[in-house]
Amino acid sequence: MRHLPLRRLAWLLFAAFLVLFPSLFREIRVHIATEVLTYALFAVSFNLLFGYTGLLPFGHAGFFGLGAYAAALIISHIHGMPVLVTLLVGALAGFVAAIIIGSVCVRLSGAYFALISLSFQMFLFAVAYEWRSVTNGDDGMSFVRPDLYLPLLGKISLQNFNNLYYLTLVLASMGIIGCYFVLKTPLGNAMVCVREKDVRASFLGYNVFLVKLTAFAISGLMAGLAGGLFAIYQEVVATTCIDNNMSMIPVLMVVIGGPSHFLGPVLGAAFYVVLQDWISSMTGYWMIIMGAIFVLIILYLQGGLASLFTSSRVWRGGE
Amino acid sequence: MRTILKVDHLFKDFSGLEVLAGVSIEIREGERHAVIGPNGSGKTTLFNIITGLYRPSHGRIYFFDKDISGWPAHRIARTGISRSFQVINVFPKMTVYENVRSAVVSKFNRRFNWVSLLDRDKPIEEETFRIIELLSLTDVSDVPAFELSYGKQRHLELALTMSREPVLIMLDEPTAGLNSEETKGAIQLIRRLTEGKTLLLVEHDMDVVFNLADRVTVLGYGTILATGTPDEIQAHEEVKKAYLGRK
Repeated sequence: MRHLPLRRLAWLLFAAFLVLFPSLFREIRVHIATEVLTYALFAVSFNLLFGYTGLLPFGHAGFFGLGAYAAALIISHIHGMPVLVTLLVGALAGFVAAIIIGSVCVRLSGAYFALISLSFQMFLFAVAYEWRSVTNGDDGMSFVRPDLYLPLLGKISLQNFNNLYYLTLVLASMGIIGCYFVLKTPLGNAMVCVREKDVRASFLGYNVFLVKLTAFAISGLMAGLAGGLFAIYQEVVATTCIDNNMSMIPVLMVVIGGPSHFLGPVLGAAFYVVLQDWISSMTGYWMIIMGAIFVLIILYLQGGLASLFTSSRVWRGGE
Repeated sequence: MRTILKVDHLFKDFSGLEVLAGVSIEIREGERHAVIGPNGSGKTTLFNIITGLYRPSHGRIYFFDKDISGWPAHRIARTGISRSFQVINVFPKMTVYENVRSAVVSKFNRRFNWVSLLDRDKPIEEETFRIIELLSLTDVSDVPAFELSYGKQRHLELALTMSREPVLIMLDEPTAGLNSEETKGAIQLIRRLTEGKTLLLVEHDMDVVFNLADRVTVLGYGTILATGTPDEIQAHEEVKKAYLGRK
């Protein structure tokens, strides 16, 4: 695909906007932007499965929550562990769990896949809920956000929200861009082949099971990273980050944003978080309004918000 | 001529319904072999078992000296057996180019490459264009598969089957749904593409069969009725009774 200079310029401006964000807006907006970035990574990881591999997981919070709990447990118990290592372990927790859980789930497809992924997430939720001695149950584990140490720059306090924003910006962007590049490789193409017609893919020599499992594992890795970032942002991890509601959040974001465009989930995450913040400041019934918007988009704008910006057909389009 | 594929006493039943009851076929290297038979005689099931979509209930399948019975489809595809489908089976939302390229990626054994960008891969691009040209799909290479005419979709189906440069090509009713003019073109094309290769063909259209095949096997409700040259088959009493006689 050719990149028009105009398009490059737009990206450059957008990147500059993200970098300058903390100097342009009040701190409360920086909070929201941090949340958007975290959820954007979560939604993109979900869409690797839904939009590109053709699998609809209803239990994606399992990996997000594992990343969050892994990060929280390390921070609470291993004093002095570098933040980046903590986040890496969180991502790997999601990755390893996705390989184990995925090796069962991806044998199924359609509604059965959705339901079995949900059951695994509910199992993980039950563990987090019941195993109070480790997870503190639904009261959750709170901790103080540790400082970030970087070579050359030295100690960077994450109590300063701008610093936390930049950490999230860098890591979430790396995750999202990483996903983008994977989709441009033969492996990403294999995922789309499997979505389009798995039987044909296998008769061309593609191991459909392995392609799905790899997609699942990458998705779990990214969800785990997002979970770790979420934990550090919130300074508390409770069962709410591994429950059914959390599993539905990326579904909503991706459907709102549009699964057939790579940045649809990012758009959906921004829309969801900003709207939630805005409506909930006015009324406690924001869920009703959010639900109505969701219904309207499903009925009248099946390509999601991203389809408003892309005119031409997009071959990667989901259903 | 050596035997390339040997199907040995193959049985298949689907929860009690016996579709194949001891089928044995030998395909020789370089021949064009057609399998014919009435509807429900088990032709497609035979295809599906050879290519790994179903597992045999009993019996063995040898490709050269390898016992491939019960192997998964992707593994069989990699040994050099490639098939087309009776019902169009392509990647609908991908363009013709992307469809063929996906097959070429697999031929180059780059399926799990996750570090290089596919769009920048020259050898894959060149090979993809070569196959697209071979199948006269150049003018539609940027069209998504689902927008193609039926005839062109058939060509694409063939392109996907051929692009792995298979040793054994298996076509399941390649002219199904084509009009007589298109069928003539398809026969020409198949003849050209399978030159010097081995072809196993399931077909309903007797013109196609007797035009293309060097040898014919007649399947009748799960068993082999006869195998021979087209002339022998046309003269075969039992076959006439069971199948050709109705024409």
